[in-house]
This record gives sequence, C-alpha cells and structure tokens, in this order.
Amino acid sequence: MRELFCAMMKEEWRLHATMFGSLSFALFPVLIGAITFMGSLILPFLGEIIPGQTLSFLVHAQFLLLGVMVGGFGLLGQEVMNRRFGQASLLAYSSRTLPLSDRSIFAVFVVKDTVYYVILWVLPFIAGITLAAPWSGLSLPFIGTIALTLTLSFLTGLAAIFLLSTLYARSMLLLAGVLAAGALLSALLLATTNLDPVLFFPPYALSRSFTFPLLLYSLTVIAVPFALAILFMTTEFPGREKHIPDRFSPLAGRLGRLRSGPMVAKDLLDLRRSGGLVGQTLFSFALPLALIWVTLVVLARVLPDTLILITFAGVAGIIGATIYTWVTEFDSIATYTFLPLGTPDLIRSKLTSFLLLQPLTMLAVLAGAIASGEYGSFLPAAVLALSVSVYAASVMVWLTGLWPAVMVYDVRVLAASMLLIGPVLLGLIGAASISVLYAFGSALLLVPAFLFIQWSYRRWETWEKAFY
Amino acid sequence: MAAVISASMLSKHYGDLKAVDQVSLEVEEGSLFGLLGPNGSGKTTMIRMLTGQVRPTSGSGSVLGIDVIAHPVRVRQQIGIIPEQEAPPSFLTAEEYLAFVGKVRNIPAAKEKADWWFEFLEFPEKRDVLCKDLSRGTRQKLMFAQAFLHHPVLALIDEPLINFDPVMQKTVKGYLKEFVRDGGTVFLSTHILEIAEEICSEVAIIHHGRLVHTGPVAGILGQQKHLADFFLEVVGKGTHA
Repeated sequence: MRELFCAMMKEEWRLHATMFGSLSFALFPVLIGAITFMGSLILPFLGEIIPGQTLSFLVHAQFLLLGVMVGGFGLLGQEVMNRRFGQASLLAYSSRTLPLSDRSIFAVFVVKDTVYYVILWVLPFIAGITLAAPWSGLSLPFIGTIALTLTLSFLTGLAAIFLLSTLYARSMLLLAGVLAAGALLSALLLATTNLDPVLFFPPYALSRSFTFPLLLYSLTVIAVPFALAILFMTTEFPGREKHIPDRFSPLAGRLGRLRSGPMVAKDLLDLRRSGGLVGQTLFSFALPLALIWVTLVVLARVLPDTLILITFAGVAGIIGATIYTWVTEFDSIATYTFLPLGTPDLIRSKLTSFLLLQPLTMLAVLAGAIASGEYGSFLPAAVLALSVSVYAASVMVWLTGLWPAVMVYDVRVLAASMLLIGPVLLGLIGAASISVLYAFGSALLLVPAFLFIQWSYRRWETWEKAFY
Repeated sequence: MAAVISASMLSKHYGDLKAVDQVSLEVEEGSLFGLLGPNGSGKTTMIRMLTGQVRPTSGSGSVLGIDVIAHPVRVRQQIGIIPEQEAPPSFLTAEEYLAFVGKVRNIPAAKEKADWWFEFLEFPEKRDVLCKDLSRGTRQKLMFAQAFLHHPVLALIDEPLINFDPVMQKTVKGYLKEFVRDGGTVFLSTHILEIAEEICSEVAIIHHGRLVHTGPVAGILGQQKHLADFFLEVVGKGTHA
C-alpha cells in the first residue's frame, strides 16, 4: 500500500509537471503562499471593516469549497470518472491488473488526494499567514488552530463530495434521497432544538472555540463519509447497453449555420449524457456563486455602499468564464487529431459551445437582481457579466489553449491570468460605483477578447499536447 | 507509378529520444505498403508525422502532393486514418459518430454510406449504442468505417486488425486488397508479420527510429524466407524459431 501511495503521488506530480514543466508547477504553492502573505498584510485594515469571525468563516468556507472542487470530478458522473481514469491509465483504475481490491486502491487514492492537495493548497496558505504574522497581528497559537481547522474544512469538502459521488455512481435516486433526508433532518433539528447552526460546519465551530469533543466531532464528520465512500464505492460499471436514437443529426442540423455546428452538437450531447452539465452547473457554478452572494450580503452590512449586484455580476462573469473548462475538460482532443480539423477549429468550436451556455451566467445575474431587488441595475450588470465572462475566457484560451483545467496549475498561467483579469474587474466595479451606467463600458472588453482569441489560434496551432 | 507519400529525412525527437531519425521513403500509388518494426521503433510516430498529427523536428514530407507540415488539415481532408489508440467519443452512439465524421468531412449521403459499413462489418445492431459501451473490437470496426467513409484514395492505418477476430480479420484484409485493386493506396503499420506477408506488396522496416530496410515482399519471399525470419535478421534478433 505504501508503494501504491508513493506511486500515485508521483503519478499526480508527473501528470501536472509533464504539462508545464517541473519548475513552473513547483512554483505554484509558492505563488499561493505569496498571495496569502500579501493578503495577510492587509488584515489589520480589513479587520476594521469586516468582523474577524466573518473573515474566518469566509476563509473556512473557501477551503470547504476547495475540497468540494478537488473531489468534485467524481460527481460529474460515473461515465466521466470511468473515462478519465480509463483514458489516462491512472493507477486508480488498476484493480483489474494489480492484486489489490477496488476499495483498497480507492482508499489510497483518497489519502493521496488529501496529502497532495493539502501540500499544494493548504500548507502554502498557512505558510503565507505565518510569515505575515509579525505584521498581521495574528498569534502563532491562532495560526496553529486555523492550520488545523482549514485542513479539516478542506477534508470535510473532500469527504462529502466523495460520499456524494459514490452515491451518485450507485444511483441518482439514492443521491437525491440522501440529500433530501439530510436537508429535512437539518431543518427539523434547527426548528425543534436550540442547536447552534455553526455546528453544521464543524471545522469553523472548532476555530471559534477549540475543544476536544468538537475536534472529535469534526473528525467524525470527515471519517464517516470517507469510510462510507470507500465501503460503497464501485468501479464496476456494468455494460448497460442502452439503445439511443440519433439525436446528433437533428441537433447538428439545427446548428447548421454555425461554422462549428457538428462539434458544438457533439459537445452539447457529451455534456448532457455524461452528467457533466448538471454536475458542473450545480457544483462549479451555482454553489460558488451562492457562496459569493452570501459573502456580498455579509459585506454589504459592514460596507453599505457595496454594489451587490454589480460586484456579483463581475464575479459571475469570472465564474461564467470557467464554462470554457466544462466543454474542454473531459473531451479527449486526441479523438479529433485524425480528422481534418486544426487546433483553431477546435478552439473555435469550444468557444461557440461556451457562448451557447452563457445564458447560465445571465440567469445567475437575473437571480441576483431578483434577490437584491436592484432591477434597475440588471441590464448594465448583465452586460458586465457577459463581457467579463467572454474576456476572461479569451484570456484563458490564450493562456491555456484547449487545456484550461490542467494548465491553471502552471504558476505563470495563474499569475498572468490574475494580472490580466483582476485589475480589469476591479476597475470596472470601481467605475460602476461612480455610476452604474459605466458598467455598459465593459462591452469594450470584447475588443481585447477578440484579439486574445485571434492570437490563441496562432499560438496553439503548432503546440503539441504532451499529455493524454 | 507516382509517389503518393514522400518522406525526406523525417525526424522526430523528444528531448534526447530520437523517436524517428532521418527516415526517407516513398510509397507508390496503388500499393499496400507495410511499415514494420518492433514495439517502440517509431512506426506510430512516423504515421503521426505523415498525417500531420505531430510536426517533425526536421525533414520534409508530402502526401498526395501536399506538404504535410504546411498543410496538415488539407492532408487529413484527403486521406483516411486509423490511429493506433484513440477510440471514438464515448457519449455518441456509433451511428452518431459516423454522422459526426460525415459532417466534419462534408461527405454526401453519409448516412447511406454509414449504413453500408454497419452491414459490411456486421454490427448493425450496435449502431444506436453509445461508443463507451461498445466492445474493443466493435470500436475498432467503427474506427475502420470512419477512415473509409469518404472513399479516400489513400489510407494510413496503424495496427488496424489487432482487435478483430479471425473472421473479421479476413473480411477486413479482403476489403484492403480490393481497395488497392480499385486504385487506392494503403500505408499499414503493424508488427503482425503474418498479416504483412499476406497482404503487403512492399514493406519497410524501422528499428530504433531508423529505416533499416525497404523493398518488395516478393523479393523476400523469393529468397525462400518468411517475412518473420527476414525481419528478425534485420533487427538483429537472429533466426525465427
């Protein structure tokens, strides 16, 4: 088992390092640490406008979300899980050839994911906070506590998502039933007892008041889902030979006017049939946006001038841009290389699919307008969200070509995208704070977006993919 | 006969690894040309370079008179390719996949042509099954059909028979022979020497990325040798047991 763990760690490292060089990938945690360090330096000022507990909650929630996102691929559907493992020939799929059971391999896989991503994300974050301690005023015992509770938050997200994906792989109905029962039980507990709601998020509760019973409770909330996930996991996907009528031809016919119609039709069928559309919409789009919304509402209490809808629209644009990763992440580009298609054709088709899915971003802004009651700001907010989304996606295409989900771990890509997107977004939100109408100016972003896309065609045309 | 494939000093290096090293060869129109070699000898890299899937480190190549480095998409428009590993997309059915290829290649009456292939390769009952649920052999049938769906004049095929049962191997070998009789050209990469001996008119042997032999199969058989014996001699492994 130790050998398998070491081999999986090497495999994960090589998977990333092969894509953009060992040094670039090795610098990724350094960048995370540097960003956290700089963020920690402004804590004394931030603490004056946002209560420390709120900040702590937000950071814990982000680490919970990180755990969800790292483990989330499993929820995209058993077929996709099968496809990813199968095509990459990862060790996680080697139970057929090694004298090891699926469960033991999955257990090692869980431990590997935990160790690997704690080293990649959590430790650099803690290192950044620790280095900034002399200036931020955070005490070392406090940092020690949140080092533990942030790790627990990450693991809580990871454990929850592993359990949910295991249930999903067994039965969609089972997953729905468990989620409904959980929601019902939570509501009952809250309505009939004096239970502190913070106990629903044990690592955060632990960060507020450290007690050993609470630590035990927090560990149980992680261990039980992990254990259940390992117990009930399956990689046996029976050959259910479904017979499906031809949906491609009518869809491609409807998209016939588009230059990339056939590829877009394939993308849309791919997303629907893999379960990716529902999974990604729920866990990579709606969930992060809901978290952002809650953050903004909290922020508006301490900063009454906060433009909730405009800020939300800007962030929705950034998250909307990640729809580009949905249409590229699980599509094996190798399946196109023997057809008369060049990389620019593929990028164009993926961008078209991305644009066809942008109504999701608009829906998010509409939901924000309804929730905030800022109906008058809906139109400029919608323009802002769409422009930011297209611009951020074009930057992503320029920087990562057809492989955004993996190349984001290249420190140069991450730094460049932050520099190209962050100031633009802040500038637009700043301008809109003077007058909401300035948000219409965001449409000008379509010009650099167009240029980035044109440059990306040339940049990626001759690039050879060194990975699966 | 004109050369439909022409490679001149083609090389592909991955760092220190010389996957293909200064290979020059010509394939004449109407031939069934076999590229033979041990595992890892550079056969697949050679096919990928000739089909514009990877760019050579140096050298030049043309396929059907088109510069494969300058115009890889134009080359792929004209030819049929069966890659060694890639499978059809998981979430399209077999029928949808051939419709997809038909659209991408702008093939007239693609549906009728696909129907013919389903019947010819004996898998009409699988046409509405998702590719991910197909057996390896059925996926290989589908890959074969997509390569010939547009009636190309040249097909570059990498280990096309490896997942077929003997009956299907016979069917496919028969098709390839007929394809060549009708004026087509096949560039076949394989390490199954019996197949090469049976159907190829000319072979080249690649070893450690370098071309070590090229010539007609008849010449080898004329020396009272099986292709396998000759192959083992050329790659330095002694006589075939």
